[in-house]
Amino acid sequence: MQSALESFHEAYASGLAQPVAAFLSPIAPINASNRLYDFARASSDDKIEGDVRYALKYNKTTRMTNKECGAWVDIIVCYWRAVKEIIKADKAADQSRTGDRQYLAIYDAWKDLTSSFIKHISGGLLPAWAIFTLYFTANHLRKIAIKTDEQLAKSKPAVLNTGYSDDIASTTPQNQKLEEAARVFNRIFALCLGDRNQDMSESRKWGVYCIANLQFKTYFKLKAISLSKNVVRSIEAQPDLPSFELYPRAHRVTYRYYTGVLAFLQEDYAKAEQSLQGAWESCWSRSQQNKSLILTYLIPCRLITQHKVPTAGLLAEAPRLQRIFGPLVACIKRGDLTGFDKALADGEPEFVRRRIFLTLERSRDIALRNLLRKVYLAGGFDDLKEGQTEKDRIRKSRIPLAHFVAALRMGISGAGSGQALEDEEVECLLANQIYKGLMKGYISREHAMVVLNKKGAFPGTGV
Amino acid sequence: MQPPAYNAVKPRTTLQPAPVSLHTQLSNPSHAHTPLQSDAAPASSSKPKKVEWPPAVREYVRRAFEPANAIPGISQLEMQAKLKATISFYAERNAHDEVHWPTHPLPQELLMEERRKAALASPTNGFDEHTNTTPQSKKRKSQDAEELQGQQTQANVPPWRSTNLVSRMTYVEGHTGKRHKKNALMDAASKFDPVELDKRRQRFQLGNNGTNATSPDEDEMPAGPVVGTNQNLEKSYFRLTAPPKPETVRPLHILEDTLVMLLEKWKAERNYNYICNQFKSVRQDLTVQHIKNAFTVKVYEHHARISLEKGDLGEYNQCQTQLKALYAQNLRGKPAEFKAYRILYFVYTCNKTDMNDMLAELTLADKSHEWIKHALEVRSSLAVGNYHKFFRLYLGAQNMGAYLMDMFIERERLSALANMSRGYANVTLRFLTDELGFDNDEICREFLESHGAQNIIEDKGDNQYRVRLREAASQFESLRAAAFSKVDIKGQI
Repeated sequence: MQSALESFHEAYASGLAQPVAAFLSPIAPINASNRLYDFARASSDDKIEGDVRYALKYNKTTRMTNKECGAWVDIIVCYWRAVKEIIKADKAADQSRTGDRQYLAIYDAWKDLTSSFIKHISGGLLPAWAIFTLYFTANHLRKIAIKTDEQLAKSKPAVLNTGYSDDIASTTPQNQKLEEAARVFNRIFALCLGDRNQDMSESRKWGVYCIANLQFKTYFKLKAISLSKNVVRSIEAQPDLPSFELYPRAHRVTYRYYTGVLAFLQEDYAKAEQSLQGAWESCWSRSQQNKSLILTYLIPCRLITQHKVPTAGLLAEAPRLQRIFGPLVACIKRGDLTGFDKALADGEPEFVRRRIFLTLERSRDIALRNLLRKVYLAGGFDDLKEGQTEKDRIRKSRIPLAHFVAALRMGISGAGSGQALEDEEVECLLANQIYKGLMKGYISREHAMVVLNKKGAFPGTGV
Repeated sequence: MQPPAYNAVKPRTTLQPAPVSLHTQLSNPSHAHTPLQSDAAPASSSKPKKVEWPPAVREYVRRAFEPANAIPGISQLEMQAKLKATISFYAERNAHDEVHWPTHPLPQELLMEERRKAALASPTNGFDEHTNTTPQSKKRKSQDAEELQGQQTQANVPPWRSTNLVSRMTYVEGHTGKRHKKNALMDAASKFDPVELDKRRQRFQLGNNGTNATSPDEDEMPAGPVVGTNQNLEKSYFRLTAPPKPETVRPLHILEDTLVMLLEKWKAERNYNYICNQFKSVRQDLTVQHIKNAFTVKVYEHHARISLEKGDLGEYNQCQTQLKALYAQNLRGKPAEFKAYRILYFVYTCNKTDMNDMLAELTLADKSHEWIKHALEVRSSLAVGNYHKFFRLYLGAQNMGAYLMDMFIERERLSALANMSRGYANVTLRFLTDELGFDNDEICREFLESHGAQNIIEDKGDNQYRVRLREAASQFESLRAAAFSKVDIKGQI
């Protein structure tokens, strides 16, 4: 055990969260694939506590107080038990007889480890950096919980309702363990947010955002996105957090990303754009995956708030973005409604999965605007009146409805295709454009004309 | 005899009374085969008396070790531990004389019993509810007889009272009473007060342990379905607080007749309160009998349709939730119809998150289904503001879809008016009637007037009217905003 804990002493001496977290990992490092196995073998159930205590107490390099030593003993013993379960599950997997039991055992052991961490941190026994070690431990708990739920879902048939419910189908949650884990994360979050330590250098408040991010991830996975709002709300209600800019960049980018997505889903596009823009700007330039995630929401956001399409250069940076947004953007630019509808339908599964379908759908307005603008431009100019020069020629502002109808019918296949467009429907779409301020003017039914403003008929497009 | 004052108290992890003094020996295998002598060790040396066990106890121990009495699945070691626990349990209370040892269950039998009960108890609770019967329940039991009597004498009580409430209450009491007798051995646990709360909680959570009260042996049957014996077609709904009695539950073939009867009554009488109540009791009977088949789906579908017709969204939602789960198990029925309703419902609630989830669930086959396609078109026409198409779709709604669309038709009319009032200076009334899906000009006019727009309708004579929309633009806009701000989602899940 002495030698097995050697790496813990080294990690501890560094005074950093990450090396300690690396020691307390459920996955063996690549360069020492036997580490977990050796660690499990270094002791036995009844000796483990004494072994660890002895090893920690009589170590010259670490020198912790008795109380802190006790806390670490507790944590390492929990970790040892978890490792033992992992080894057991590995062995079972070798004989291909992994079942619920192994997964549950690992999950329970890891949850004990997390709880023990929480207990000792809230008892104030561990150094300040330990909150981040706890973060890594909790993140592992999240992953283990997800795996366990997957396993349980595979093996367990649908459950019947027991108890006195009036209805037959049970509403038992599908993600029991992850929900349980979410409650653990909630405790950690409270532990961070509610730290009363005045000394900011030792405060657990520094852990607030990274734990919040962990919660977001969990809630999104659980499809309980609305719970994330509580997290945001309690952070915003906390007056004495350190300035946001002082937090590590990784925490900030992820937090902004999630708050951006949250606002996006609540259709608060202005706020979403602000948060996502913030995330985009601080995101590490080489982190392609994160950048493309941010853009997945920022691009639809901008379509709504500023009617702006992404440049070809930006899309070209990420093949994924090019694939999902490319066709749509091209159709918007061309004012090709039929193409737009097709691109939207083709991309629907992906869009729905990313929860951007309903937002992207709204950008059809811009495609339509571009088409109507083309009609307006094609209408040409009024004849020059006396005294007018070529320079102040005015475009024809009275356009027959039939022109717009023709334009809209262009993409539609002929009779019998099941597609039809009534004149009134075109009127309706025009009225919409006017209502939304994309086009200025009015419709005159008596004359079957659309009268556009002489200046700025299509605001923001230069005509 | 005074119990030793220095016994270390270990934290309780089970509700079994665990005599602490034995823990130390159990971990020592050398004592395992001489349980009687070793028992003297933990007791303080000042009590030599304890070594002399009564012959009855000695005989009991001998029986326990007899190979013929061994039960497969229970190891020798476990049996010994239980044996020690049992004997010392009574020894500590000095109650060896009160036990009739020759008939007392052997330790292996006790273990079997415990395991069986543990299997019955909910895995989430981990507690064995049978081990903690309380003095209170003993008291209540005495009222039991009185209540039964009262029930018999009150011959003219209303039927709902005698069939449901009273019988349910008496049933609970009798049930606990029997349990109490049976588990007199475990009675010690009832001293712990906090346990009482747990017990009560459990009683309300998982009462299916004893579904049949007719014979005392059956009151520990596993949580299985009730088999109903009630032959009445009608039954009023009451929320269950205890396991149902078979005589109050109708079996499947009766329920099938009930459904036919209810549908006829609904056609003839249109008494929604009655129908809803009856349907709820049918659903309840299906649930307690674990009937989950095409008929179950049919019941929920009919109830959902009727509640839609009456605009009872709360009840509709309950049915819809159940139907979703039932369809997932391929029990036939009309999934497409109800998927279409779900889409329309989300249009009504403006719930983008749920709508997105709904879209994610739809398969290609779903999307090409006529009814679902209609609902999807309703959704997209509103999303892109195509009110013209929307009102066409409204007029072409199928099944109960029109009832659902009625929920938001006024809101969308106001929205369309707000929209048009920016795009047109004035239009004919006929145009509005057509565009907004009204049956005739008169109704359209009434709609405008009831929304404070009487002043903008201009009579041109010869039944021709013009509506000066532009003038009421801001008013329509505020009406639109108000209509969207309050979406009443009863029983939303």
